[in-house]
Amino acid sequence: MPDDELDPVIHAQARLRVVATLAALGEGDRIAFPRLRRLLDMTAGNLSTHLRRLEEADYVMITKTYEGRSPATYVALTPTGRLAFDRYSRRLLDLLGSAR
Amino acid sequence: MDDDEPGTALAPHDALAIIAGQRAVAARTYPSATLLFGLWGTVWLLGYGLLWLTSLDDDTPAVWAAVVAAVATIVAMVTTAWHMVVRTHGIRGRSALQGAMYGWAWFVGFLAQGVIVSALANAGATPVVISLAANAMATMVVGLLYLAGGVLWESYPMYGLGAWVLLTGAFGSFAGIPGSYAVLAFAGGGGMLAAAVVVKVCGPRRA
Repeated sequence: MPDDELDPVIHAQARLRVVATLAALGEGDRIAFPRLRRLLDMTAGNLSTHLRRLEEADYVMITKTYEGRSPATYVALTPTGRLAFDRYSRRLLDLLGSAR
Repeated sequence: MDDDEPGTALAPHDALAIIAGQRAVAARTYPSATLLFGLWGTVWLLGYGLLWLTSLDDDTPAVWAAVVAAVATIVAMVTTAWHMVVRTHGIRGRSALQGAMYGWAWFVGFLAQGVIVSALANAGATPVVISLAANAMATMVVGLLYLAGGVLWESYPMYGLGAWVLLTGAFGSFAGIPGSYAVLAFAGGGGMLAAAVVVKVCGPRRA
C-alpha cells in the first residue's frame, strides 16, 4: 500500500467503527464478542464478517475460550492493528489539512 | 475500496466523525469518574457534615448521624461496585487486572485504617484523639489512592484531588474535633464534587 493512500482494510464504514472502538479500549485489553456487538449495534453475522477481514490483515486477534462451561470469544486489536489505525488517523488529518 | 459496502464512499471528515463517535461509545466501558466523584463527594458532604453539625454542642456526634453516615457509605460502596461491574462487563486484560488490584487496594487500605483506630482505642487514646486519628487516616487512605489512580489512568483531576484530600485532611487535623469533621465534609467532599465537575467538563479520560 502506498504511503499516501488510506488503508483500505480500515477505510470502510463498518470496519472503521470496529477498529476505532477497539482502539479506544486500553492497550492490552480484549472485549467479549457480545459486548462489542452491542456497542456497535451490528448483527453477529455482520460483525463476524468484518472481524474475519481484520483478522486476515493481522489487525485483530480473536481468542476463543471457556468461561465455566460456556464458550466465550474475545476480540482485541493487535499492535499491528493499533499502528495501522494510528497511521490511518494521521493520514485522515493530513488529507483534511491539505483540503483547507 | 468499499468492497462490502458498495456505493458508500467515505469522506475523510465523515471518517473522523465516526472515530470520534466510537470513542464516545467505547467510553461506556470505562467507569464514569464524574459519577463516582459525585457520589462519594455527596456522601462525604452529607456524612461528615452531619457528624460535624451534631457534635457542635458536646464534641460527640449523634448516634443517628453516625448511622446515616454509615448507611450512606454502604449504599455508595454497593453503587460503586455495581457501576464497575456494569461498565466493565465483557472487558478482560490489562485494565481489568489494574481495576481489580485498585479496588482491593481500597479494601486493604480501609481495613488497615480500622485496625489502627482500634489499636489506638485499645492503647487508651481519648475519644477526641480516636476521632481525629480516624478522620486523618481516612483522608490519608483516600488521598494516596486518588494519587495512585491519577498515576494509573494519567488523570490530572484525580491526582490533584488526591493531593488536595491528603493536605486538607492533614492540616485539618489541627482543627480538632468537631472542626475536623467540617474540613472533611467541605474540603474533602467539596473537593470531590469539584473534581466531578472538572472531569465532566474535560470529558472521559481516553476521549
